[in-house]
Amino acid sequence: MSAWWTVMRKELLDAFRDRRMVIVAMVVMPLAVPLIIAGMGSIGSKRQEEKREGTLELPVIGAEHAPNLLAWLVTHDVRVLDPPADPDTAVRRQEHEVVLRIDADYGEDWRAGRPAAVEVIYDSSRPLQSGATIARLRGLLASYDRQVGTLRLIARGIHPAVAQPLQVGQRDVATPESRFDLAQQMLPYLLLLLAFIGGMQLAIDATAGERERQSLEPLLATPASREAIISGKILATATFTLLSLLVTLAMYRIAFALVPAGRLDISMAVSTEAIARLLVVVLPVALLGATVLTALAAFARSHREAQSYLPLLVFLPMLPTMFLMVAPVKTQLWMLAVPFLGQNQLILRVLRAEPIAPGEWAVNLGAGLLLAAVAWWVATRLYHREHLAASS
Amino acid sequence: MIEVQALRKSFQARGRSIRAVDGVSFTARDGEITGLLGPNGAGKTTTLRMLYTLMRPDEGRVLVDGLDSCAQPGDVRRRLGVLPDARGVYKRLTARENIAYFGQLHGMDDAAIAARVERLVAALGMQDFIDRRTEGFSQGQRTKTAIARALVHAPRNVVLDEPTNGLDVMTTRSMRRFLHELKAEGCCVLFSSHIMQEVAALCDRIVVIAQGRVVAQGTPDELRRQTGQQNLEDAFVQVIGSEEGLFA
Repeated sequence: MSAWWTVMRKELLDAFRDRRMVIVAMVVMPLAVPLIIAGMGSIGSKRQEEKREGTLELPVIGAEHAPNLLAWLVTHDVRVLDPPADPDTAVRRQEHEVVLRIDADYGEDWRAGRPAAVEVIYDSSRPLQSGATIARLRGLLASYDRQVGTLRLIARGIHPAVAQPLQVGQRDVATPESRFDLAQQMLPYLLLLLAFIGGMQLAIDATAGERERQSLEPLLATPASREAIISGKILATATFTLLSLLVTLAMYRIAFALVPAGRLDISMAVSTEAIARLLVVVLPVALLGATVLTALAAFARSHREAQSYLPLLVFLPMLPTMFLMVAPVKTQLWMLAVPFLGQNQLILRVLRAEPIAPGEWAVNLGAGLLLAAVAWWVATRLYHREHLAASS
Repeated sequence: MIEVQALRKSFQARGRSIRAVDGVSFTARDGEITGLLGPNGAGKTTTLRMLYTLMRPDEGRVLVDGLDSCAQPGDVRRRLGVLPDARGVYKRLTARENIAYFGQLHGMDDAAIAARVERLVAALGMQDFIDRRTEGFSQGQRTKTAIARALVHAPRNVVLDEPTNGLDVMTTRSMRRFLHELKAEGCCVLFSSHIMQEVAALCDRIVVIAQGRVVAQGTPDELRRQTGQQNLEDAFVQVIGSEEGLFA
């Protein structure tokens, strides 16, 4: 039996007897991920729905100048409010999402057949909060504009189509799987984060903890080579992490299978095959994470010091997600070789049920495994330092 | 047999180089108990760490059964049973699992491990706690587990760093008995201690170390003769004390 296999088995046995570690990795994380995604998803879609379909509360300045317009708006589910004293400040302070101002000359212009002025006061720097409301008000005004315009043309004996040179139709080719909402964009990040640092406790415990509990020196005095010892610890960490991810994805699948199909107009379902593909995608990240954490634990003088590097590691898998939010790009082959960015892209494509070419798999897995191998080499160098066990 | 030849080792600490071991040579023979005696900080642990390949010597070499520790570290470790100063055990594993883990790392099969564990349990008196998880073990129980773990592969050469540290009288006595048994089996036993009575009671040969150098070595009788003291304790004080006097 090879030494690395012996070390790996012992570390896994040790880890699975640590009740706290098992509960966090196999229960808390698997429950947290679907809850975060589902929670954000339902809050997000409910808010959008309210904005699209709820009553639009609209402060109107100069309401007395346009009673017909206001009456029409009210029939379209708008509740007219008294205007604030200072509309610009009120909008800027988010007291109102949008304010409508009707020009004092509105009535006169209307009767004369001149364009009557109305003004939409809004704040474009908060598109997420008030974008839908602004669009809705603009849509209502445009619709009223068209309706009255059509009536006026008919009254003058002109066919309304004359003033309508274009007819713009729309067809959305999104499939249910590809119709993502913001919440589900979080999933790749959460998966990569879990894969990268999910084994943190085990890795730190197996090296920094082993040294602190004074059992590393006897272990290094056995004939097992340091390469074998570190490899066993890394593989135990990666295995534990992948098991945790498997349970997480299984929970995710069960959770979204329980949601009635009609409730969501987007597909959150993940097939068993997709779970298998996701695990393959995150495999190099799990190996890399396990290796980096083990190297860190060997480099750090204590458990505490090793944990203090954690914020840095949390940040790494976040970078590509942030990059994609700022600059959404079409996937190029080279991107698949970039750690985290490549995995992020592939996870999105697995979730969208898009095909992945063998060459793309090869580039992504090859680059990921190569990087993990380099990290392994660095980690073994660190394991050969005399300080490792003999720090006292 | 363990041969230590002109070992030197320095450490860098705050920009200063500190010479921990400064030309240590001695031989520990098969079928004898050799004691490494010296005050705390004399360089005993560093010498032993170079011996079991945890550290590389700056100069000099170590031969275990004729094998060079730098050239063949794996083979040297295979021939050694080591109880280091650090003797932590895995608290979520039972004592038996702790011992078996090291047996597997020495390449033993399950049957050989089981047979050897039975012998060690009897020799060290571990019947009461062999199948308990080691969390909450007393110092003596932990040390016995660590010793059994170090000797699971029945090594011909046994190296123990301060084996009786923190043990009560009864456990210390059974430990001494056990070292005599190893000697009777023909093992080469090398242990370090800063306790004179212990070294005097156990050892066939004594190597006295102070400030990284060997200041005296030989059988107890030879040491008494060399120093002209009847009492071994007085002999130690004289060799260590006079050397310290020289450096002061």
